[in-house]
Amino acid sequence: MHELGIVIEIIKTVENFAKKNNITKIDTIVLQIGELSTIIPRYVEVCYPVAVDKTMMEDTKLKIEIIPGNAICKSCNKVFNLIKNNGKCPDCGEAPWELLSGKEFLIKEIIAC
Amino acid sequence: MENFRILEIKESVFGDNNKMADSLRKDLKSKGVFLLNVMSSPGSGKTSTIVKTIEYLKDLNIGVMEADIDSAVDAETVSKTGAKVIQLHTGGMCHLDAEMTKQGLEGLGTDNLDLVILENVGNLVCPAEFDTGSSKNIMILSVPEGDDKPLKYPLMFSICDILLINKIDAIENFDFDFKAVEERAKNINPNIKIIPISAKKNENIDKFADWIKDEIKKWKENK
Repeated sequence: MHELGIVIEIIKTVENFAKKNNITKIDTIVLQIGELSTIIPRYVEVCYPVAVDKTMMEDTKLKIEIIPGNAICKSCNKVFNLIKNNGKCPDCGEAPWELLSGKEFLIKEIIAC
Repeated sequence: MENFRILEIKESVFGDNNKMADSLRKDLKSKGVFLLNVMSSPGSGKTSTIVKTIEYLKDLNIGVMEADIDSAVDAETVSKTGAKVIQLHTGGMCHLDAEMTKQGLEGLGTDNLDLVILENVGNLVCPAEFDTGSSKNIMILSVPEGDDKPLKYPLMFSICDILLINKIDAIENFDFDFKAVEERAKNINPNIKIIPISAKKNENIDKFADWIKDEIKKWKENK
């Protein structure tokens, strides 16, 4: 359950961003979480209302976009999802692959009024 | 929706902390203070390893920061070594970030110190995600915890420069495959250095102390 500390970090970053850009009211914040990151979206959602309590983001909405954990097979160039295929290329088995996406954990954007 | 505007941030959630950590690292470098971040699960022997290691580093001025959710038990233990100690309370947080580390260093006072050892909160998950601004990261895995930990907590093993395997004197009592840990850890982090130790029996603590001295020397030469 490390998500609370992480959500507090997100709030700090967004608050700094808002200050710099003279934004006083935020409607929604959009996060991108990779399937292979160590962050569990459901826990982020649970922590969010607690973490934003009494901050400028108190009444904001949270939107999470999931980024698939995809890799490209080094021998046959097939792009496949690592989780669905158990870390192996579905076409040629255990060949080495290169990670394309899925480790991200980004604050994508905020929707301000 | 016309009244709404979308502002792109595209910043890593750890971005702010990483920036703060880098600036702290630079600041410590200019002051000549080497910060060693020690991480492990609770009960793996961080405090006893630190206490034993300090005995081999008598020619250095050492400060120790003990981070815990509560209590001053560890600070009391370490203060008996003669090192300068501060107890940090994270107030429920399971890790230290760069900002908290900076505040801790200010509280400790780094004047004339050569080495500050940061005993992070006992946890293999979050401390791996938050850069503290340390010069080097080390982790301790103790034999009773099992040889599967690199598989379960790969991020921690990937960010550490050295892995101490503690309580090696008790290996007979556990199904702990030393070779398997070595293989699993190197698979994640080929550069990781592994030293089996026993803080209780004082085994190989000198080797770890030598590693610290070596690293400080290299760090000082590398302007």
